[in-house]
Amino acid sequence: MHTWRQRIRPEQIRELSLIGLIVIALLIFGWQIENFLSARTFNRITSSVAIVGMVAIGQTLVVLTRNIDLSVGSIVGFTAYFVGSQLAANPGLPPVMAVVLAVLTGGTLGLVNGLIVAYGRVPAIITTLGTLAIYRMLLINYANARTITVDSLPSWVVELSRQTLFAIGDFAVRPLFAITIVAVIGFQFVLAYTVFGRRLYAIGSNPEAARFAGLPAQRTVLAAFVLCGMLAGMAGFLFLARFGNITAVAGQGIELESVAAVVVGGVNTFGGSGTVLGALLGAFLIDLLGQGLLRWLGISEFWRDALLGLLILLAVASDSVILGWLRRVWAAPALRAEVSNEG
Amino acid sequence: MQGSPVLEMRDISRRFGSTQALAGVSLRLYPGEVHALLGENGAGKSTLIKIMTGVHQPDSGQILLDGRPVRISSTLEAQRLGIAAIYQEPLMYPDLNVAENIFIAHAGRGPLVNWGKMYREAEAILAQLDVRLDVRQPARGLSVAAQQTVEIAKALSLQVRVLIMDEPTAALSAHEVEQLFAIVRRLRAQGVAILFISHRLEEVFEIADRITVFRDGRLISSAPRADVTVEQAIRDMAGRSVEQLFPRRHTVRDETLVQVRDLGRQGAFHGVSFDVRAGEVLGFAGLVGARRTDVGLALFGIAPADRGTITIAGQPVRIAHPRQAMRHGIAYVSEDRRGLGLSLPMSIAANITLPTLRRYLNPLGLLRRPAEMATAEEFRRRLAIRAPSVEVEVGKLSGGNQQKVMLSKWLNTRPRLLILDEPTRGIDVGAKAEVHQMIDDLAAEGIAIILISSDLPEVLAMSDRVLVMREGRQMAIFDRHEATQERVLAAAMGQRDAA
Amino acid sequence: MKAKLRRLLSWEGLLLAILALVVVVNANLAPAYLSLNNQINLFQLSIEKIIVALVMAFIIINGEIDLSVASVMGLAACIVAVLFDRGVPMEVAIVAALLAGALCGAFNGFWVAYIGLPSLAVTLAGMIGFRGVARILIEDRSISGFPAWFTALGQQPLIGPFPFSLILFALLFTLALIVLQYSGVGRLVYVIGHNAAVARYSGIDVPRLKLGLFIASGFVAALAGVLLAARLGAVRGNTADGFELDIITMVLLGGVSIFGGTGNLAGVGLSILVILNLRNGMSLLNVTGNVQTGVVGMLLILSVLLPNLAQMARERWQRRAVQRKEVQAGVETSVSS
Repeated sequence: MHTWRQRIRPEQIRELSLIGLIVIALLIFGWQIENFLSARTFNRITSSVAIVGMVAIGQTLVVLTRNIDLSVGSIVGFTAYFVGSQLAANPGLPPVMAVVLAVLTGGTLGLVNGLIVAYGRVPAIITTLGTLAIYRMLLINYANARTITVDSLPSWVVELSRQTLFAIGDFAVRPLFAITIVAVIGFQFVLAYTVFGRRLYAIGSNPEAARFAGLPAQRTVLAAFVLCGMLAGMAGFLFLARFGNITAVAGQGIELESVAAVVVGGVNTFGGSGTVLGALLGAFLIDLLGQGLLRWLGISEFWRDALLGLLILLAVASDSVILGWLRRVWAAPALRAEVSNEG
Repeated sequence: MQGSPVLEMRDISRRFGSTQALAGVSLRLYPGEVHALLGENGAGKSTLIKIMTGVHQPDSGQILLDGRPVRISSTLEAQRLGIAAIYQEPLMYPDLNVAENIFIAHAGRGPLVNWGKMYREAEAILAQLDVRLDVRQPARGLSVAAQQTVEIAKALSLQVRVLIMDEPTAALSAHEVEQLFAIVRRLRAQGVAILFISHRLEEVFEIADRITVFRDGRLISSAPRADVTVEQAIRDMAGRSVEQLFPRRHTVRDETLVQVRDLGRQGAFHGVSFDVRAGEVLGFAGLVGARRTDVGLALFGIAPADRGTITIAGQPVRIAHPRQAMRHGIAYVSEDRRGLGLSLPMSIAANITLPTLRRYLNPLGLLRRPAEMATAEEFRRRLAIRAPSVEVEVGKLSGGNQQKVMLSKWLNTRPRLLILDEPTRGIDVGAKAEVHQMIDDLAAEGIAIILISSDLPEVLAMSDRVLVMREGRQMAIFDRHEATQERVLAAAMGQRDAA
Repeated sequence: MKAKLRRLLSWEGLLLAILALVVVVNANLAPAYLSLNNQINLFQLSIEKIIVALVMAFIIINGEIDLSVASVMGLAACIVAVLFDRGVPMEVAIVAALLAGALCGAFNGFWVAYIGLPSLAVTLAGMIGFRGVARILIEDRSISGFPAWFTALGQQPLIGPFPFSLILFALLFTLALIVLQYSGVGRLVYVIGHNAAVARYSGIDVPRLKLGLFIASGFVAALAGVLLAARLGAVRGNTADGFELDIITMVLLGGVSIFGGTGNLAGVGLSILVILNLRNGMSLLNVTGNVQTGVVGMLLILSVLLPNLAQMARERWQRRAVQRKEVQAGVETSVSS
């Protein structure tokens, strides 16, 4: 009864195909570009994926419920600056407190989004387009044209992005990347094995049914936004650790990168399907292609955005077209079985 | 009868604006009893269900569960009390699998999901219903029947004591209805009280132990099935005696207007061949899933045929788009008024002129309102659309009047072939008679009509010939005098020639 | 119909009240505010955005969204600048930029209308991608030194005190108003926005209309981008960056539903006036641009949130009234028993 066809669903193939694409890209770039498969490339990609990936986890939670959070870039920036300034003012602040502060700050901003969307019934795109501007405004007022510099921060913060947690051969895993990986594993578990996680899918899959069945839809959506804010806050801390120099424009554009990662990672923009692992792979693939193509084709940094736009479009198109096709292929034998049962 | 009722509704009233939806209705549901509720649309059935499931609160009256008064403030509360409802179109989570759909609403199973246990329990419940369904399959793509089974399993898993079934058979094939009834009987044997709502009298008389009729928000009659006849039930619903079959005039002309040969579309239907003459009504009979609508959609170019030929007035034509169909004088009146047929927030006038908008534009592309209004007024008079003005939003009209607006919209294209898909579904008896009259008038004017209807008496009464389909295949074409209920049904159920 | 009319009236009434408030406050804060010059200036500073907002209203009423408009503006500005820089005559450069804009719109429209992808995702890709193309063209340069006649387009009065761009806006607004409210196309925009399937089943070529709207959006955005280049006199890679927020805010604040099918240009016109006057007032108070954007964001949220809250309060009040009745009924039965 339980054939592979029942166990493996088209939805799961998405992650497999992402891994396949990443492997193919690695092979091609490794073959074509000298020194591509090096510790340096790995380090560069993991450092950047650490931040975008962290934000993409939260973005996934929100998108699963058929919402979107465009304010995450401002949350990352605000948190990075806020925590940075607190650390500069109190260098003795313990690392745990700094992280807690970042998560709480992000969570508060996410709470505002969530309250407006879930309880104020304002569409998420409107709400977060608004708070994108509002949080940035708060940051600019707070920063008042000052910059946080590396020198003003306690040394342990900056060290985080340089230390090696462990190394496999030449490939060093930095703490920042490790934190994100742990978060991805944790939320992968939350989505697959907790009632809360399954509710996110249920609500995004059919909001009307969720409301009708008496699922606590408002609370769940609120929680998704709060978690998204907390994760963006965490990403803000990672941002601070990675760059050290923080200005009022910090984190600008991360909202788009996170949405791109989520979309490329196969999370359905209409909610209900997708995983955080997919989003992480999406972020990884985007960065890999960005780095690889620029070096392979010998083109300038300026091509980056154009390629990213194209990649998102291809991801959405293939998701819609190919997945639709796969579903039909999968459904055909099932349908035949149903008909033969009847006959 | 059998001891005390599980659920008693006592003297329930509810008002919406100026409409008294329910006026002092009392109803008792006993364990192990299938209680059928009959009534025209607007009789108050849905309001009662919504009060039972906590969607609405009654203005006055009492609800007693096991003899104790309760307040059902929400769906969740109803669920907790053991009251669940299954609707014509089940509310599923397409991305979740069958087992999750069954258990998602369960509270108090802890914060973690035990997949293994959930699959085992889901399989056990489905086995209890004697249903074979892969519990790991996503709900997306399940047939309506399978979705309803999942809903029933969900209700069972919640230890339901009162199960409300609102038109559960409307979208099911005959075979699926039989399976559903087997499940209902099993639930009855387990002591569940079932409130069964259906427009199909045969089904009601097959399954129900007690039959209650509502009209205009009041309870008209309630009696054990053995004491009720079909005629009596219809009289109670309509408030007048049953109308006899509609007297059609014979208006078929000699000219063959449309000739269809071996028409098919991959995955939908194949081998459909028929002629329609001017002034003829060709009925399309079949059970749900017979793919009759797909033939209509192919002729109208929404889902074009990929094999076979269509000849109109002697000319072979290709129809790949509704515009082409309309150019050939084909009009298709959809079965889904609210979803596909009408733009609900737009006015009657705007809806009527939608397919023919070009006629109402001046050379600059601006609307000529007076011309538009004149057309709309003409149809309002001709089809007796009951509305204060043609500027009224279509969404505010009753089902029957919406149907008339839809007919007007397509008659205004001056069609030669009119495809009517379930034109009387969900409209009241009066409006139904008007639609039948209209079909007869249109045929008399020389329009060829294809009438797709699941209401077998209607098809038989209205058609000059009846084409019967089953699972995408054409089974037979009967002349009017050959077409009896038995023969058509036999063909629809797959017996080649029952005659 | 009447209830809808009343709601619309109250929506536009609300906008009118806000506008009056803003005008009165501004006039008290700065005497120069009400002068014709300041009023023209206030329009001119945002003229590119409000031109694009007109087409955006069509797109959103049609049930779609175009996030790529600001990037198309930037791209058009860059094309004009780069071509001019390479010695192409300005007129040709402008035509090329407009064509490129229409092409961007056609690109978006193709994926949305003919492949059926969600416009949010497609135009998000466009937003990033078109900006990317602009960056490829201009890299990190800043191009200026355009011919005088070109820069005059954006600044100098053409008829009376009114500059070209303002006259263009007035013409476009009138045109948009007529098309949306009085033409067949406008009727179809609403019908499709509310329920595209109904339109399809009525024999309407839905994809063609959607494609047309996206092409119009791209073309008008390019036009706005060229005007922006003319007004600023210099073009960089980030020209018009982030304008989509203001543009979408203007439309949504005007009472157009993000879900499509409802809204009208009178509301959008009023909301444009509100936003422009608000920004102008803040400028007079030396409030920085970022804070202004934040205030606009707040206005956007409040414009949807406040009516929702009022609605919820009304519902709660009604429910409480019902409950009170129930309690009374309960008292009566207990007395009688």
